[in-house]
Amino acid sequence: MECRDVREMADSFLAEELLTETNHEILRHLETCPVCRADLAGRRALRDGVRRAFARAPELGPTPEFVTRVHTELRNAHRAPARRRAGFRGWLALAAAVLLAVALGVAYRSRNQVGAAGAVARAAVGDHRNCALQFRLTEKPISLAEAAQRYGSVYRVLESVPADDVITAAGPAHVLERHSCVYGGRRFAHVVFKYRGEPVSLLVTAYDEGARPARGGDVRPHATSAGRIDDMSVVSFPASRQMVFFAGDVAESDLSNLAEAVAEPLYRGLSTVDSVAAGRRSSMPRGHDVDTLDVAFVSRGSAHAMDFLSDACER
Amino acid sequence: MRQKSATAAADPAWAAFEAEALPHLDRLFRLAMWLERNRPEAEDLVQETMMQALQSFHRFRPGTNCRAWLTTILQNVRSNRRRARGRSPLVDDPDDRIGNATPFVPPVPQTLTDEELLGALGRIPVPFQEVIVLCDVEELTYKEIADALAIPLGTVMSRLHRGRALLRAELGASRSGFSQQRADI
Repeated sequence: MECRDVREMADSFLAEELLTETNHEILRHLETCPVCRADLAGRRALRDGVRRAFARAPELGPTPEFVTRVHTELRNAHRAPARRRAGFRGWLALAAAVLLAVALGVAYRSRNQVGAAGAVARAAVGDHRNCALQFRLTEKPISLAEAAQRYGSVYRVLESVPADDVITAAGPAHVLERHSCVYGGRRFAHVVFKYRGEPVSLLVTAYDEGARPARGGDVRPHATSAGRIDDMSVVSFPASRQMVFFAGDVAESDLSNLAEAVAEPLYRGLSTVDSVAAGRRSSMPRGHDVDTLDVAFVSRGSAHAMDFLSDACER
Repeated sequence: MRQKSATAAADPAWAAFEAEALPHLDRLFRLAMWLERNRPEAEDLVQETMMQALQSFHRFRPGTNCRAWLTTILQNVRSNRRRARGRSPLVDDPDDRIGNATPFVPPVPQTLTDEELLGALGRIPVPFQEVIVLCDVEELTYKEIADALAIPLGTVMSRLHRGRALLRAELGASRSGFSQQRADI
């Protein structure tokens, strides 16, 4: 990385808006470049200065009378509907109960449509949001090579599949980053694309034995849309021992196009590694089953993962 | 303390709103004052924003950024008010107006007063001020800024880049102009 690149990205770096790998590259550059260090310090001082000036400017602050007035009016506005509610008759409460039952029925049906993968899909969306968009993961992402060494060779598949440039019916997608990260106690192989002008995540994670969809024989992957989850479009398909998710703030149809474009080579790659691992497992003594994503649950986070999935199901 | 706990137990919805949203009132008002440059307008704007926030608080997802959520509501209220008064945006497309020209950026002085900083910020085009304030002062993420202003993420990034260059240019120019005036005396 050169000085010009660092200057271009300096403000995004300070705003913590860059991908982890890019941050590392900038930090490496800063170690040896005093000019860029000084430039960055100047930018940081300017940002801090504007923030401080805003917080201190007396002409911008609210008067105590205004604060009190707003507080009082909000409190009164909140109380008013409560008083009206107190006058409701019993039959209205009954109607509400019926409506609630209908709503729960609809929710239950739509949950079934999304399938048992719904809770995992929410974790995938959480990972997309917290890793690809906001870089707020508590645990630092690791490379796919390192994940393959630690958790199984399935991660190595994602190093080359999908290719860096994918052509879809809705336009090209370009891979920005590949790594493995943890969100909500669940480990993902994570590929970030630039697609339709937005960061879009491909996330592969182990799928629980109990929640695996019933499938027979060698099924060609078919991507299905899970609709919008937490303001993100989500599309998924099951692989042999994993679930594959696509999440991003793009149209569902565009996301489906991307999923269809990468589904077949990815499914083939994952299945090949899994079948090799299964053959190896059959010739191994018990307790040496390490070559699948199923062991990728973070051990210290398993209880948390179960809590997360239960919470997601309740929601 | 005991009275507060009793209130929270009696009305958890209000207690949640009080704990999550009301602490942002000061910063929200400062943002409104900066945008409106008029105290009565800013007071109306913030009051309506907080009232709408209270009514739709069930839509707020705990654990997400409440300040970003309130800022989005404030921007919506502000847009609706401007539309209702038949006022067009201050600058239709600042990117057209500024073009692709990168301003000459003289060195930013080491020591700057609050007045100099806010004065320079106030002299750059409003759409650039908005993204700088939302990013640097309100500490919103690029995505949150894009949502609040209803503009694409790429526009947020390009406006921030150009806006900061304009701000630095303005700061450098104002200080050198000031120095020149001092030298002339």
